[in-house]
Amino acid sequence: MKRNLVIVLLATLLVASLSAFAMAEQITLRYFMWDPEFQQMEAELIRGFEAENPNIKVEMTALDPTNFWPRLAAMAAAGELPDVFSMSTGYIDTWARDGLLLNIQHLVDRDLNLDDYFYNVFAEDRFPNKDTSDMYAIPYAWVGSVLFYNKDMFDAAGLEYPNDDWTWDDFQNAAIALTIQSNPNRAPEQYGFWWYGRYSHVEPWVYANGGRILNENKTRIAIDDKAKEALQFLSDLTNVHGVSMAHRDMAGMRQQDLFPLQQAAMWVDGSWMIDHVRTVAGDSFRWGIAHVPKGPSLEPGEERSYYWPDSVGIAATTKHEDEAWAFVKYLIGANRPVETYMPGKVPIYKDIAYSEEWLQQDQQPGNMELILELGETPVRTTFNMGWSEWRGYASTGGAGMNGELDAVTNGQQTVEQAIENITRDGNAVLERYYPEP
Amino acid sequence: MKIYRKIALYVLLLFVGSLTVFPFLWMVATSFKSMGEVFRLPPTFTSSALFTDRMWDNYRTVLDQHNFLRYVLNSVIVAGSAALGQLFTCSLGGFAFARMKFRGKNIVFGTLLATMMIPVEVTIIPEYLLMLKLGWYNTYLPLIVPSMLVGSFGTFLFRGFFENIPSSIEEAAFIDGANPWQMFYRVFFPNAKPVSASLIIIAFMNNWNDLLRPVIYLESNRLYTATMGLMQFKGAYGAQWHLLLAASVVSVIPLIVVYISLQKYFVSGMLTSGSKG
Amino acid sequence: MRYGKVAPWLFITPTILGLVFFRIGPIIAAFLASFTSWNVFSPPQWIGTSNYVELFNSGTFWMILRNTLVFSLMYVMGVMVCGLFLAILVNNRLRAITFFRGLYYLPVITSTVAIGVVWSWILSPRFGVLPNVLADLGVHNIPSFLGDSRYALLTLVMVYIWKMSGYHMILFLAGLQNIPEEYYEAAKIDGATRWQSLRHITLPLLSSTTFFIGIIALIQSLQSFDITMAMTEGGPNYASATLSFFTYINAFVHFRMGYASAMSFVLLIIVGVITFINFYARKYWVETVD
Repeated sequence: MKRNLVIVLLATLLVASLSAFAMAEQITLRYFMWDPEFQQMEAELIRGFEAENPNIKVEMTALDPTNFWPRLAAMAAAGELPDVFSMSTGYIDTWARDGLLLNIQHLVDRDLNLDDYFYNVFAEDRFPNKDTSDMYAIPYAWVGSVLFYNKDMFDAAGLEYPNDDWTWDDFQNAAIALTIQSNPNRAPEQYGFWWYGRYSHVEPWVYANGGRILNENKTRIAIDDKAKEALQFLSDLTNVHGVSMAHRDMAGMRQQDLFPLQQAAMWVDGSWMIDHVRTVAGDSFRWGIAHVPKGPSLEPGEERSYYWPDSVGIAATTKHEDEAWAFVKYLIGANRPVETYMPGKVPIYKDIAYSEEWLQQDQQPGNMELILELGETPVRTTFNMGWSEWRGYASTGGAGMNGELDAVTNGQQTVEQAIENITRDGNAVLERYYPEP
Repeated sequence: MKIYRKIALYVLLLFVGSLTVFPFLWMVATSFKSMGEVFRLPPTFTSSALFTDRMWDNYRTVLDQHNFLRYVLNSVIVAGSAALGQLFTCSLGGFAFARMKFRGKNIVFGTLLATMMIPVEVTIIPEYLLMLKLGWYNTYLPLIVPSMLVGSFGTFLFRGFFENIPSSIEEAAFIDGANPWQMFYRVFFPNAKPVSASLIIIAFMNNWNDLLRPVIYLESNRLYTATMGLMQFKGAYGAQWHLLLAASVVSVIPLIVVYISLQKYFVSGMLTSGSKG
Repeated sequence: MRYGKVAPWLFITPTILGLVFFRIGPIIAAFLASFTSWNVFSPPQWIGTSNYVELFNSGTFWMILRNTLVFSLMYVMGVMVCGLFLAILVNNRLRAITFFRGLYYLPVITSTVAIGVVWSWILSPRFGVLPNVLADLGVHNIPSFLGDSRYALLTLVMVYIWKMSGYHMILFLAGLQNIPEEYYEAAKIDGATRWQSLRHITLPLLSSTTFFIGIIALIQSLQSFDITMAMTEGGPNYASATLSFFTYINAFVHFRMGYASAMSFVLLIIVGVITFINFYARKYWVETVD
């Protein structure tokens, strides 16, 4: 009897210590992502990862971007960053400089076959130099800028759809033909085009003309003549030809609703808007996408595409570097189901991007392969430290460069004045981040 | 009063009333429209969905898919606890300042007076850092605790009220051997019902409508207050005015109901706060 | 000292905690922080008066200071005129007058966000009801009330006046009801017109109330964060941003805590000056009934 008791006790002890051992092996990663809409799908993705890695548990928190950054900033301040989190190109330089992100270059070099990915896109996650430095985050998806156009409106006006040979003059003529104003005392019922100071509206035109907004090192504003030509072209569309709405007149509307609500026939923005256009427009009209027309001053070899990634980063403070990297690899890799990508966001892993499931040729716009071409060309962007401040991003009601260009669309100042202000105010911001130019 | 003057006054009253009420009517009218009707020109007042099955569609979306009921409930919790907390601290403080003599009273009271006018924007940055250090970020504590502890207005309200209570009552209670707490809780506080009601309502209203602190401190959707929820909704669904205005209606209705049922306390609270500078 | 020495302090413990942690402490902390460069992620660095130098050399800051001034002046004047007008209007003994008082007070209790949402919709240039009605009436070149930098601030003030007039109506009403009826009767017998009795009885006897309301309104006008956030987010290009909103942007959007603290200290000084004026000037300016 007594012996039995001892055996039972010993067995209990053994089980207890074993389970304690197993518990110690169990690792929990905290993961913050910024797209609550995709929480369900990412949860499935995580279940897949956990099944493959039984010792790792992933705890996900999903926040929308307006809350994501303040929250993450607060956590960074308290030294409690999650192990893995979504990272925006707009913030990566500042965060890398502040030592909050893990340098993952050695892991990338060790584990990834670069040909499997849209490798050009990786450049945006390097710091401080976008061409040569180490990576501090890695893209899981990217978006490129495209020209949206309303096929019904083109048909009604008897115009050919945009094609790759379009010049800026072709574009302008089409925009003029697509603008309909029946009462001269009222605003046009239909605009040919729609742009304002937003980065994804302006930069594509600048780069399509071979222009630059920043200097070579991306440390100062230096708007060159080709960029100026692009800005003047945009300004004339609004102020001379009246084919685009002044920014002030869109108060009370969201910029991304003008095209799907058929207020404007053409629109340049990021390809991730495809999902939004599908949602808002439904089947109310036929539409397509095209490349942003090449500018008159673009010289051969100067082609730069404007695209930017959504990335994931690992906290420099993580205690589980290997597990976090394993999870990151899973997030960007071949196992990720195509449904977890918002339509119009391109998976960084090429096989998924080129799959029929992603291209969705049976749905509008029907030619998404056009976006993929962008990823094969070199990139140019304006993202750097202080970007959100000088560019006028986030809830600042359109300040910075954004606001100066809005004032141009409102006819309150010329492109020259805007450039002067952008350069002066922008460099005041950038001098704080980059004391040396 | 002469009859034509009376008529003129009523016309004026109604005219001003229509200016006041039109935005509310437009809010309600739009909240029943479909997206197509919202963006139809010229704008119409009524929606084709009125008194049909589709009438409540927007409200269903707002309540089912966006959890506005939850936000409203959160607001009740936050505003309710802040208001009750203020009642507690302000009545105690007001009592001490009105009836007790102690060294340093004038200094404390003077400080309270001097800092009453300081806008929250001045103190919010250090407060934010303090909350981060305390680990109170993304909880209701930053919404409740500061508002509860710095109820200068309520303290003045109670001080003024308690000062006017005749000391004969106090004498009698002292003879009966009441201690300070009993004096406050049994003798003075029960007399202060109207003041308490006014304070609760005004504190409730201020906390219900507060935007700055929820914007700064709340991150989880499930913790959002009604105003914060509305603000977030505005960001996410900016131009879907039919949904946005339905959400607005949902977020303002609870307070309007409270207001209509307790109107006299609102006004008397305002008046008391007004006459004490 | 019948309450003893301990009890009073126990009673005011919450008040003192509040003062220390949410008033005095933060003010001192903000003052110190205003001499640092601090982005929350990394520890603050002492940079002397650089923040203030940057502030006073920044064109945007001066514009925002001007906006704040314009906003405050317009708001104070608007809300006082409207409040007094409403108070006189509802200070009549008429049937259903309490209904009208209640009605005019309705915008006060409604959250600024909801007010901002509905007014943004009413004023929206393309689909809003007001521009469309005006256009139907034959008005040309209707401005974009919220999108045009020349009008955005003005529109914010108007909406805020619309919202807050009821509040000041109640305060004025209290003052009006304290004026003894006999004064008006005496004036009537002397053959004074309504305008004369308003000019020579009501306004002078209301001066203490008016002064008080002016101060309240001024303080309110400096706390315009909610309405700005709800309607324009300070745009276009900061044209409608005021000091309280700009402080928020720098602190909680750009995470420049030191710079924002310097800004908030400027706000504090403005409030201090106003409070000082309130304290010392009122005895010279105000006629009292007693």
